[in-house]
Amino acid sequence: MSQTLTAPTHEHTEPGATPPPSRGSRPPSRRWLYKLKISFREPTTLIGIAALALFLYLIVVPIVTMLSDAVRVQYGDESRAGSDFGSLTAYYLKRVFASPVAADLFWRPLGHTLGIAVTAIVLALLIGGVLAWLLSRTNIWGRKWFMTALIVPYMLPAWTFALAWTNLFKNRKVGGQAGWLETLGIEPPDWMSYGFMPIALVLALHYSPFVILLFGNALRRFDSQLEDSARILGAGKIHVARRVIIPLMLPSLTSAVILMFAKCLGEFGVAYVLGMPVRYDVLATSLYRNISSRQTGVAAVIAGAIILIGIISLVVDAWMVREGRKFVTIGSKGSMDRLTQLGRWRLPMTLVPVAVFAFSVVLPLLTLFLTTVMKIPGKFTWDNFTLDYWIGRGLKTVAMPNGVLLTGDFWMAAWNSLWMVGVASVTAGILGMLVGYVVVRTPVRPVGWLLRNVTFMPYLVPGIAFAVAYLSLFAVQRGPIPALYGTWAILVLAFIAEQMPYASRAGISAMMQLGKDPEEAAQIAGAGWWTRMRRVVIPIQKSSFSSGILLPFISGVKGLSLVVILAVPGTNVLTTYSVQLVDYGYDQAANAVVLMVAALAFFGTVLGQKLAGSNLADGMGK
Amino acid sequence: MPTINLERVEKNYGGGAASAVRELNLEIGDAEFMCLLGPSGCGKTTTLRMIAGLEHLTGGKIVVGERAVDAVDDGVFVPPEKRGMGLVFQSYALWPHLTIRDNVEFGLRLRKVDKKSRNERADGVMKALGIEKYKDRYPSQLSGGQQQRVALARMLAVSPDVLLLDEPLSNLDARLRLEMRAELKRLHGEFDTTIVFVTHDQWEAMTLATKIAVMSEGVLQQVGSPDEIYNRPANRFVAEFVGNSPINIVELANDAAGGLGVAAISYVSTRLGKLKDLGSIGIRPEAVHLVGEDEPAPDAAFSCPAEVTGILPTGGSWIVELTAADQKLFMITSEPPTVAIGDRARTWVKPTDLHVFDTQGTRSEQADEQLAEL
Repeated sequence: MSQTLTAPTHEHTEPGATPPPSRGSRPPSRRWLYKLKISFREPTTLIGIAALALFLYLIVVPIVTMLSDAVRVQYGDESRAGSDFGSLTAYYLKRVFASPVAADLFWRPLGHTLGIAVTAIVLALLIGGVLAWLLSRTNIWGRKWFMTALIVPYMLPAWTFALAWTNLFKNRKVGGQAGWLETLGIEPPDWMSYGFMPIALVLALHYSPFVILLFGNALRRFDSQLEDSARILGAGKIHVARRVIIPLMLPSLTSAVILMFAKCLGEFGVAYVLGMPVRYDVLATSLYRNISSRQTGVAAVIAGAIILIGIISLVVDAWMVREGRKFVTIGSKGSMDRLTQLGRWRLPMTLVPVAVFAFSVVLPLLTLFLTTVMKIPGKFTWDNFTLDYWIGRGLKTVAMPNGVLLTGDFWMAAWNSLWMVGVASVTAGILGMLVGYVVVRTPVRPVGWLLRNVTFMPYLVPGIAFAVAYLSLFAVQRGPIPALYGTWAILVLAFIAEQMPYASRAGISAMMQLGKDPEEAAQIAGAGWWTRMRRVVIPIQKSSFSSGILLPFISGVKGLSLVVILAVPGTNVLTTYSVQLVDYGYDQAANAVVLMVAALAFFGTVLGQKLAGSNLADGMGK
Repeated sequence: MPTINLERVEKNYGGGAASAVRELNLEIGDAEFMCLLGPSGCGKTTTLRMIAGLEHLTGGKIVVGERAVDAVDDGVFVPPEKRGMGLVFQSYALWPHLTIRDNVEFGLRLRKVDKKSRNERADGVMKALGIEKYKDRYPSQLSGGQQQRVALARMLAVSPDVLLLDEPLSNLDARLRLEMRAELKRLHGEFDTTIVFVTHDQWEAMTLATKIAVMSEGVLQQVGSPDEIYNRPANRFVAEFVGNSPINIVELANDAAGGLGVAAISYVSTRLGKLKDLGSIGIRPEAVHLVGEDEPAPDAAFSCPAEVTGILPTGGSWIVELTAADQKLFMITSEPPTVAIGDRARTWVKPTDLHVFDTQGTRSEQADEQLAEL
């Protein structure tokens, strides 16, 4: 006999079916208990809540504290603000945006920042766009090799190139050793040595790999059937490029532009090296100047403005991607493996990436290196070469009597870099995995949602503004937390928080990729939460876990803008140490340190790619 | 072996979406091979996952044997790892970092079985499924069919009382699928376990199950033996979903009825007593018979003149397309048809082969009784 069941929505009821018991006769429901058991039967939700509390403290509280500093009277400003310490005031806002010094504090730096950003982006698009096309769509020689080689500038800290530039073009405006051109008897004009032109050019060279990666990937995955159909309809090559390829590439282009813009906003090192000597300020250096002169309120306002511009640009990006329509241009079978045959242009065209490689990698690194082995930079005579700046003793410089490798401060900075960034990246990596796990697995959705968004917040805050936020929160004792400024703890915490957007994103995508099945299968087999973690999740995630630690490590080691405000002489790391050497005019030593940072970043990245088993293009999102 | 009882089970994923499973009552008996059958998105996988404990209920109760494993109103929830069931995933979900042997032994290890008996047990299961020669390989080195056997072996190694299978054959090619079906049927006979099997393939359900539960849009439509499901579909959905070639539906409701419908209405009203809410009649293509235009149809049969408008050979059988009073009617025959396209003929259907549904789409028991008496 077959039973027939009808939908509860049907009016027709089966004769034998029991009517639902009326509300009154039902014992008190323990539905809440069921929900509670599901939510908390595993540590996932508890871990999520703990992590959320941690990140609220490490990320949200500092930013909020800093923003509140912008509208409260700071210690020492009582008489100028005409109000008591800690009371609400518009003094700093007025000072930054509408006072006689506003132009120096904010508007001119803003103009400089925007000018540099636009110029650098346009140049990077030109250089990167041409290279992307040559590398992915033509038959120039050595495509594979260039694809990796031309990414190198992006792996190295940007101010490496700034230093190389000053080594070459420095003039008598600043003291210290002579530049190469000076030694050769040419006095470069100021506009060539410092300020707008070199900063924009260095940034353009630094960001062009980014364009090569994004644009090149898009070009390679472009469905050539789209192009073919236009050709079949009778469109010429130029016409196809203008009407088909470029419009379809537009979304990925705008994303690249916005990302570069956000990076330019927070760019500190390049402007510091190339702008400070002529007091050419951008927002980041203006912020730094105000922090150095203890103008906390003003600094908070500028940092807030930088964050705001950053957020606006990201909102614009999100809006463009939505409005500008994400085209599906990725072809399944028609993807680009067909290359434009350049014919007799093959050799000249190959010279383009050669030239870019020479200017953006070989020349700067060679300059830096040669400077470290020359007594007088740029003088090519045998007696001018020396290894003293590396391993010599009894040098005539005041504070650096020994070569870098024999100087205690260097080893201390190197050790600090390694262990602080190391601890921070391991912690960030673990936290990122945990965040990923909680976000993907928790049955309590709001916890996952909050966690995902809170850990993303530092992305909107350039390093230097984030450092200011940390300074606001941890400069004085608050509750049980002692003043952390001047200790290693503030650096490690700031490193962790700064890396969380990448760490948590890596964790989330790794967990998404893993999917639920392996874990559920273990659950069915009888494994509890800890067993599943130990025996299934962690072993499977091992490789993405290790690259999730290594990549933050590299960006931490080569980062400058976060640490330049938070480090003190006792907690110097390699980058701040080299900046100090630049300040003192010890070019050879500074270059040597920078070269080591660059080597660390480069080999670390290569190792990271090996570990992750991915190609260079994927891991370079930062 | 335990029975599984689902009582008023409800699953809503929230966010304003319709419930994935609505007020589901289902009893799965001891040593039953139960197939949950339905189109994708009908809630069958959700139901299976709720039984396993991987998905939480929003209402109702699941009882396995004597023990409630889910009871929303009483605040009872037994986590999946404590339910002692076996589940084969559609994706197999083998652990990529473990060898085949380690995969199979995983559950035994958790149960603290000593090494010797663990190895013996794993060897036995792997041998039974013909995968012992791959035991030191990793899952990525095996083909889909081999992986599927590993997934089965992994589940069988711990001898669970209840086996849950989530479309485990859907990724296999036709031949392998046939083999694995036979294997599953053999396993069921051998181990006498209760099996719940999810599939959207009605052919698979028919061949494997002792009982089939047909679901649609989260609502259970019918539970019964394969024979009952096929020969006495409880409603139009089941009638139309089950069957290799789609069932012929003749609309009877006045405004929708075509010419064939009018003939059917007159047949029903002359032969049968008063029926309320007459909606439609379903006729399986293999129940349609054909005689010459002037030959009489058997006595009580429903018959109607028709024209042959198409003949489609399908290898072992033929599909004949008939047009009766402006309406298409398909017939399947295993004999080579003696008619040709354009021939006029008479179709007839035995009274007991007519499936009468009311306007709600529910099978009319009243009509069944009356048709049986003709």
